[in-house]
Amino acid sequence: MATAAAIAPFRVGLKELYLPDFSVVLHRTPGLPAHNAKFTVPLWFSKLDLRDYLYHAYNVRILSVRSYVKQQRIIEGDPKNPRPQPNRWHRPRALKHMIVELEQPFVWPEEPEDYSAWNREEVKDSEAEQKKYGELMQPMGDAVVNEERRKSMREQAKALLEGRQKWKPTTSRSVGSMLSR
Amino acid sequence: MVTMHCTSRALLTGAFGAALHRSSTLPPSFLVPCLASKQPASPFSTTTPLHARKDGNPSGGVSALRHTGPGKRQKLRSITPSQLPQPVRDPERRTSIVTDPDHGLWGFFNKERTSMPTPMDLVNHGRGWKTQELRGKDWEDLHRLWWVCVKEVNRLQTFLGEKRRVGSMYGDFEAEGRMKVIYATQNAIREVLTQRFYAWENARVAAMDDEEVNLYADPEKGEQAYVPREEPEQSEAEANEGTSLYSPPPPQGMSRGPEARI
Repeated sequence: MATAAAIAPFRVGLKELYLPDFSVVLHRTPGLPAHNAKFTVPLWFSKLDLRDYLYHAYNVRILSVRSYVKQQRIIEGDPKNPRPQPNRWHRPRALKHMIVELEQPFVWPEEPEDYSAWNREEVKDSEAEQKKYGELMQPMGDAVVNEERRKSMREQAKALLEGRQKWKPTTSRSVGSMLSR
Repeated sequence: MVTMHCTSRALLTGAFGAALHRSSTLPPSFLVPCLASKQPASPFSTTTPLHARKDGNPSGGVSALRHTGPGKRQKLRSITPSQLPQPVRDPERRTSIVTDPDHGLWGFFNKERTSMPTPMDLVNHGRGWKTQELRGKDWEDLHRLWWVCVKEVNRLQTFLGEKRRVGSMYGDFEAEGRMKVIYATQNAIREVLTQRFYAWENARVAAMDDEEVNLYADPEKGEQAYVPREEPEQSEAEANEGTSLYSPPPPQGMSRGPEARI
């Protein structure tokens, strides 16, 4: 660390910052070449800040930086809050991304073959179930057609008409049903 | 070869007569010239289309980022267009890039250097440092520990970013739990440093009024900062008031102004 600070390849700033309270996130960019890396940085960050940060904290030398601010779309309520908060429309804080040209190339480690350690299949199934249930909760929920029920009803009707099944009255839910069994 | 020509003979013999008897959907012979030549379609709108304003910039429309190539005004004197290297479009024929094992960006990954830590790996942590444990540490150690925490937070945020890209998996809860422990450590460091500052500031303020203390003493010249008076000392019970659980109060007169953003 001491040697890295002594021979910085750029003019280091005079302002010393201690105990930083922000995070810099590295992203996988399959569309970019290996000499490029993309970071999400705090909104007040500058290109010089990132160059300094990468050099002093990670000993990563860069050739150039490109930055852009991405506006976020407006959202309803707090996404972290599980309780829906309707009509509280607001635009979250924008994100600043910086794409850096590295001196040494860096290739991300490969994706795992199967995501069973992260329970991916189960989460996908549960999300599909949630989505199906969520459709019923929408204002147009009563217009949603249950295809399985339709099919089952059709089969039951067909069985009744063909005489394969005989119609029986449904058991009542009174106390007497327990006694009759 | 039958030449399709719009003559009266064609009209009388071929076109009308044939159309009455034929059941096929061939167009009449007088329409064939229209179909044979591809005439340019005229635009529906009669408004003149807008063009980009010409400002006379010699390198207009030339961009390295957008791969436009050299413009008409760009003169390549060192190399001819035929000598330019061609990109290898087949991914299998490209040279594979080997990442340096000592690359700094590996700091954004875990020890195993996998693309994402599993929830079992994330949950494998202890508790954070406590204020009591950190009080004995000097600034260098606290500063080093702070940066260890910062880098771990970066690692976790990188994991969450990658997880967001892939989607539909566990890991949020475990990463959040790990981050809480890190924040607890960071808060403890901040608390220790704050208490240290309060103690120092209180002592400094008290020393300004204290006659036994000389704040302007120069230790290099051999001047003593504390010159006790020749009087019987106070009882020791009062002196041993400060236990490790005692936190000094904030110095009076210290205004809690708006936090300066770094």
